[in-house]
Amino acid sequence: MKTPKIKLPSIRSRNSLVTSFLALIFSLLLGMVVILISGYSPIESYKAIFGFSLSTVKGFALSLSQATPLMFTGIAFALAYRVRLINTGAEGQLFIGAMAAALVGVYVHNLPGLAHVSLALLAAFVSGGIVAGLVAIARVYTGSNEIILTLMLNQIIIFFTSYLANGPLKPPSSGVGQTERILESAQLPRLIPQTQLTSALFLVIAVAIIIQFILDKTVFGYEIKVTGQNLRAAQVAGINTSRVSIITFSLSGAVAGLGGAAMVLGVNYRFVEGFSPGYGFAGISIAALAAYSPLGVIPSALLIGILRAGTITLSRTTSIPVELVDLIQVLVIIFVAAPKLTQSVVKIFNSLTHKFLKNAEPVGGENS
Amino acid sequence: MTITLELILSILASTLRRSVPLLLASMGGCFSMRSGVVDLGLEGMMLSGAFFAVLGSHVSGNVWVGLLTGVIFGMIFALLHAVLHVNYKVNGSISGMVINLMAAALTPLLLNEVFGMSGKSSTVSNFNTPNIEWLKGVPFIGPILGGQNILFYISIALVIISWIFLYRSKFGLRLRMVGENPEAASAVGLNVKAYKYFGVLVSGAYAGLGGVYLSLGQMNLFVENMTAGRGYIAVVINAFGRYNPAGSLIGSIFFGFFDSLQTIFQSYFPSQLVMMTPYIVTVLIILFGLKGGRSPAGTGKHVES
Amino acid sequence: MELVRMEKVSKVYPGTVALDNVDFVLNEKEIVSLLGENGAGKSTLMKILYGMTSPDKGTIYYKGEKIEFKKPMDAIDKGICMVHQHFMLVPAFTVTENIIAGSEPCVKGFVNMSKARAEVKSLIDRFRFNINPDIKVENLSVGEQQRVEILKVLYRKADIIILDEPTAVLTPQEVNDLFMILQQLREDGKSIIIITHKLKETKALADRVVILRDGKLIKDDIDPDNVTTKQLSEMMVGREVNLNTRRPSTSIGDVSLKLEKLNVVVDGVPKVRNVSFEVHEGEILGIAGVEGNGQSQLIEALTGLCNPLTMNMKVNDIQIQGSSEKFLKAGIAHIPEDRLSMGLVKEMSIMDNIILGYHREEEFCSKSGLLKRKWIRSYSSEIKDTFGIKAPNVDTSAGSLSGGNQQKIIIARAFSRNPKAIIIAHPTRGVDVGAMEYIHKKLIELRDQGAAVLLISADLDEVRTLSDRLLVMFEGEIVSESMPGELNEIEMGLLMTGGHTMVESEVKS
Repeated sequence: MKTPKIKLPSIRSRNSLVTSFLALIFSLLLGMVVILISGYSPIESYKAIFGFSLSTVKGFALSLSQATPLMFTGIAFALAYRVRLINTGAEGQLFIGAMAAALVGVYVHNLPGLAHVSLALLAAFVSGGIVAGLVAIARVYTGSNEIILTLMLNQIIIFFTSYLANGPLKPPSSGVGQTERILESAQLPRLIPQTQLTSALFLVIAVAIIIQFILDKTVFGYEIKVTGQNLRAAQVAGINTSRVSIITFSLSGAVAGLGGAAMVLGVNYRFVEGFSPGYGFAGISIAALAAYSPLGVIPSALLIGILRAGTITLSRTTSIPVELVDLIQVLVIIFVAAPKLTQSVVKIFNSLTHKFLKNAEPVGGENS
Repeated sequence: MTITLELILSILASTLRRSVPLLLASMGGCFSMRSGVVDLGLEGMMLSGAFFAVLGSHVSGNVWVGLLTGVIFGMIFALLHAVLHVNYKVNGSISGMVINLMAAALTPLLLNEVFGMSGKSSTVSNFNTPNIEWLKGVPFIGPILGGQNILFYISIALVIISWIFLYRSKFGLRLRMVGENPEAASAVGLNVKAYKYFGVLVSGAYAGLGGVYLSLGQMNLFVENMTAGRGYIAVVINAFGRYNPAGSLIGSIFFGFFDSLQTIFQSYFPSQLVMMTPYIVTVLIILFGLKGGRSPAGTGKHVES
Repeated sequence: MELVRMEKVSKVYPGTVALDNVDFVLNEKEIVSLLGENGAGKSTLMKILYGMTSPDKGTIYYKGEKIEFKKPMDAIDKGICMVHQHFMLVPAFTVTENIIAGSEPCVKGFVNMSKARAEVKSLIDRFRFNINPDIKVENLSVGEQQRVEILKVLYRKADIIILDEPTAVLTPQEVNDLFMILQQLREDGKSIIIITHKLKETKALADRVVILRDGKLIKDDIDPDNVTTKQLSEMMVGREVNLNTRRPSTSIGDVSLKLEKLNVVVDGVPKVRNVSFEVHEGEILGIAGVEGNGQSQLIEALTGLCNPLTMNMKVNDIQIQGSSEKFLKAGIAHIPEDRLSMGLVKEMSIMDNIILGYHREEEFCSKSGLLKRKWIRSYSSEIKDTFGIKAPNVDTSAGSLSGGNQQKIIIARAFSRNPKAIIIAHPTRGVDVGAMEYIHKKLIELRDQGAAVLLISADLDEVRTLSDRLLVMFEGEIVSESMPGELNEIEMGLLMTGGHTMVESEVKS
């Protein structure tokens, strides 16, 4: 059997590629304004940000490791969006996946490395999937708003895991909310020593390829797309849209759960309270930037990862906080979600440059 | 824990206190939903109201200036929601979430910039509980109402004003028509966009005021993420309150009650589990509560311009 | 006396010329029928008259004065009002609220409800509209809702009333009621313009007929008493039209689709009651009836889209029940009534739309779930050519095609699967005469190839022309079975609205 050829990210039209690019540019420009207000030079700052991330091995590794969890949550949001469901619950699914993986990592003994890691990942996958699945079932059968349900569940899960990490699961000598350290057999190998970059990167890229393949080449992927683009037509066409929505949304949660496991098994080697600085919500920007294409999430997350890595460094030397990246992420969502807005900005830009160029026409020019 | 009259009265007083921000936010949501725009952005409008109120009070030293600043910035965030949804036709739920994410990103940023600390601001002048002598003496009502600050009374007044506006005035009728059938409204000559802007901006003002209550009414500073999901609870209150101020009142008292139980139970159970309860209650209500009222038929619909 | 004169009006939209140098005159106390196919320009012309849009060229005179409307309110102020085809009502509001919204009588910002109600009631009584002003509009019948729309216009003191396809959703009886109202309004001094493509009604009601075609004025002084419907449709289309010639089936075979005892209940209300019938191979069975009498639920049951209370359905003697997937697999093709919203995915390519509904068949999808892309592409290319779908290639998105071509995709898709039975609902609703011909032709072709066709339509002419056998559905029941021609229009109209004349006993049990 022929191995399936892997296409470039299936971005539906060239337009969305351009929109994403422009969205990123405009957001960076507005970010510059914030830096300016703080009294620093935007040019210097951005040079520092990108310089660190791209020119040193450590910097690039940090970018990739920052990008990895974003890839998981980005894929999760993008997948759910394909059936027009909004998974704002990635944060909670991240936490429950992390806790599940930690429990397997700490309390399951006598398993060889590969099996132990696989079991932990499976536990995270299933727990994230179940949490999302329940929401999907509620949404499909009762019409409940999945945005509010997942947001509420986020809080519930975060509080509950925090309770566990501060209570029953807390190591006796620990000062913070966390679990015991996971066994070595459950740890994910580091790709580059002294960095946070783990083999989870390979895992998430594989997940992206698989899901993209499902969307483009399989009949289930076809049904996902029809369900998302015209629910009624899908039903008339014999597609079981309830099943499609629930499975897809569950898969979305499962992927987010894997992201949590990646953090536990590879970075912290235990569940730590508050380990996610909003990776779940960042996934929304990543997905939007990638035009909701799972494979497109990879480069999209890398870009933001570079930004994050650089800003972390920057915040150590200046008072510019890391939250700047959060702001840029929100701006990206705005520009991608409102393509007409982006177009308007382009138009304004065009007319300004046009005026500028007209006025700047050299004396004795071509057609004087 | 013995159940005394004192305890009951203190729970009731606490219920009222806790319900004010929910009441304000969900009433704001009424205006937004009635004009046909989804009210998912209440959380962000509330959070920004809370922060900028503290900022205003800090800069001016005057709590009323703080209140004004909070309300205005609630409206500014609402403006963004309106522009994205009404002008650029972005899905209302998404533009609402954008507001929430924006406020969540911007407030820590500015907190750092202005106050130099992260996590919380310095303390500012706030609304004190008025010392109404004669009220204190009245049995039952005294202890319950005596502890409420002026914003509580403003909120109650707003319930009445909002109801009359929506259901008895000319503009209220037109606003509701825009929410039910924007095309029909346009056909009789109404400016649909203007009414939607109005609904959203008013929701920003109300939600902002709710935030003001949190930071300047209940406390005297801003804490990162101090709204803690109240905006979303307000959305749920609206759905079950049939999108009118009376429903908001009932719903917010209900949630306020659960919220106040929380502080009582804090001493008996681990804090995280207790903090989970309002969210669990919300989820249960969404799943098993009475079927939410039908939202205005034209929610999310635009008119070709 | 001339009331309105539109001179040399032109309007261009990107890609099409909507109006080309059109003149239009409206006199006092007259009812004018504005005829034309879809896209002929009649809606655009009226939109200009009532202020929704402005002409690129041309002038409008009202009572001799030159006027320019910037928005509908300007026209309404001058007394020119429009009653839209799709009602602009708020179902959750009462009749009174709907009528006054936007022009409320008020005191210092508060609505004076009692005054409003009194004014509305007096209008209702004056024109004998027979409606309760306090009832919520969602509880009114379609005909009553239309009367509320007319009341809106009268409340605003309209002198010129434009009606857009007013009879599209009315029962024959309601159409008569409407005509009486319109004639009364004319006696009262009002002028009325009716945009329509219903030729019979034009002849019955109008004082004068104006025909537009492709944006141009064809003729504007037609006397409806001196012209035949055939002549009218030929002027509308520009060539000879053969719409109402019957072509009965030459070979009706065995029973293909057999339905027994169908009962559908929605929210506690029975919508389909004990319906049974059979459709034979090579036969078109038509079901006539006004929309809202259970047809939608009948179709849903026959295509697996709802859960009937009881149903016994067999195709070629094999029982069918369950999900829509099973029905499709059993060879039942469904051409939905809302083709665009229920039949196509605009964002997807022609290719992807052509396999929609059949995408899981072995032909298109391997056992492991992979789509056979190469084959799908060549299959859809062939269909595109056979059915004449105009597009650069099969990768073009369906949304970028014209309405007619989109319809072709849906028909081509169903017809190419050699279905055993076809269920087609309101096939030509909202479709112009040219496309109507195409669809009718295809239906007959399919029938002649041996398919069993179930045709459900509210268009009496269509159903009588195409069917080999004719049922009438009223309030969820089949109230008559006849051969086309056995019953005349009036009798059919009565049956469709509940006045029984003949009832076939076999059908009812």
